[in-house]
Amino acid sequence: MRQNLFIFTGILLLALPQFLFAQSRTVAVLTPFLAQPGTQLMVEGFEAAAKSKGWQVDVIDTSGDVAALVSRMEDVALQKVDAMVINVDPSQIRNGLLAAKDAGIPVFGMDSGADPLLTANVTSNGYVMAAETATYVVDQLNGKGNVVMFIFEPYPPVQKRGAIAESIFNNEPDIKIMEKITPSFDRGPLEGARNAMEAVLTANPKKGSIQSVWAAWDDPALGAEQAIRDAGRENEGIVIVGIDATEQARDRIAARGNLKATVAQDFTGIANTVANTVEQYLKSGSVSRSQIYVSAKLVTADDL
Amino acid sequence: MSGSLQLAPLLRRYGTFLGFLLIVSFFWSQRPDTFMTTRNWLNITQQVSILCVISFTMTLVMVGGDFDLSVGSMASLSGMIAAVLWQQDVSLFGALGTALLVGAFGGVFNGVLVAYAGLSAFVATLGTLTIFSGLALLVSNGKTIFGRAIPEIVGDFSRGGFPLAEEIQLPNLTLIGILVLILMGIVLQHTVFGRNLHAVGGNREASMLAGVPVARLRLIAFAVNGVGAAIAGLMLVSRLSSANPTQGDGLMLNAIASVFVGMTMSEEGEPNLFGTLTGVLILGVLSNGLTQLRIDTYVQQILTGLIIIAAVLFSRLSLRRR
Repeated sequence: MRQNLFIFTGILLLALPQFLFAQSRTVAVLTPFLAQPGTQLMVEGFEAAAKSKGWQVDVIDTSGDVAALVSRMEDVALQKVDAMVINVDPSQIRNGLLAAKDAGIPVFGMDSGADPLLTANVTSNGYVMAAETATYVVDQLNGKGNVVMFIFEPYPPVQKRGAIAESIFNNEPDIKIMEKITPSFDRGPLEGARNAMEAVLTANPKKGSIQSVWAAWDDPALGAEQAIRDAGRENEGIVIVGIDATEQARDRIAARGNLKATVAQDFTGIANTVANTVEQYLKSGSVSRSQIYVSAKLVTADDL
Repeated sequence: MSGSLQLAPLLRRYGTFLGFLLIVSFFWSQRPDTFMTTRNWLNITQQVSILCVISFTMTLVMVGGDFDLSVGSMASLSGMIAAVLWQQDVSLFGALGTALLVGAFGGVFNGVLVAYAGLSAFVATLGTLTIFSGLALLVSNGKTIFGRAIPEIVGDFSRGGFPLAEEIQLPNLTLIGILVLILMGIVLQHTVFGRNLHAVGGNREASMLAGVPVARLRLIAFAVNGVGAAIAGLMLVSRLSSANPTQGDGLMLNAIASVFVGMTMSEEGEPNLFGTLTGVLILGVLSNGLTQLRIDTYVQQILTGLIIIAAVLFSRLSLRRR
């Protein structure tokens, strides 16, 4: 009798941890970009959200090495985690996505890109971000003036922004796009944009000949602002806008110079939405949408 | 007493390999269900195959007493050139051939600078590293080429393999690694070229006096290494189904590290293929096993570095004691 009791207690003790942790889920977060501030915010946000849901999170960063990321996805797939969350262009990690698919593990994009092999991708809407800053320019100019655009066609997410801003400006009869510039990357886009803006200022020496600079991301906006300051034309009321809300851009906007606005992606919001989407999938086996957008926010001096 | 005397050289020779086996046993004991499986080992061989190719041809250069810092950027450049050519509707093999030629040409350029112009391998290949890396950015305009531009068969190649059993195949990339290993093994061990190259690496002046065409041999070794880097670059494009102007850059340090770890497995501290293979496998198994053990990725990097230093230090100490 006593012996049976011992055995029973032993079994109970052995089974207890499994019972307690039966609900615990493991999610692997994989990215080559953990050094990027935006990625850091998202990963931290996801870890916090996952903790509140009682999940275990393994963060794997391959320091810029996409091939290593594919290898790590294969390793994680063998470990039978409950889900993977990636922050990388899915078109470059097809083999990793296929390894996950073979193992029956769902993969979620955290501001990555759309891909049929992803269960869902959560991101900001590039079209909307560009529309926010372009309409801001139109409003500040009261629908009238000359705009210099800094664009970048080779990179699809940035190309989108340029296309939408251009159609908004073209839809305003009194707004003229005077230049569309792709800044040189030789010494970084900031320097490239500054040089290009210097040339535009030299070619248009008359005060009031330029009303606004619209940039598809913050670096060229910062470069253009430096060129305008160096040329001593910072008091002409030229309105500059960028996108991404980098630390440097926020500083310049807070200084109330020519750089007036940028757009901040809601990285924590994206992370929370990813966590909720993973949860929804783990509970029901499906997601309501495969591409989910989280609103981005216009940032002006009043917000800083 | 005599037993310990016999054990010492064995330990010196195979200490690193023993270390590798210890690492494997450790992961096996920690992850008995997933680590020592055919599937996982085929994964590991596929994961290290690209590094293998570049390290094996690097061994050739290092046997000759030189080394090559430009292999990573050459891998990026050759992959990028193939992708750009495919984008412009050049045939599959036309683009592959051009990429390999670019690798050979880059290798010859390195060889001329080092063996004929007399630049140190460090300075010359540091220069060409920058040149190749700039060229990769130039031909691609800095962007990644992916999607329809890369022929489907290129991406499919890395997912295919030689069927071994039901649902198990020896991956094509692993096969390439094995082929390059065999080829380099034959070249280094069974050809006059290989034997002479060992002599050049051992004592350049003596080889020259003995009438060995030292400069030509070093040039050929660099050329082969250039082709090896190009093959690795193309394998990378296949594995990622895309080409990025910097995607091969990380290969260089790991390749040199693998050869150095491998050098601990020779009596005279010479580069050798079996040692290099062990070095590559140590790096590959560490990444795979530590990921399975859920060790933080930054801690993984530190551990990997420490293990490389420990291996070389151990062999240095045992050599000194001899």
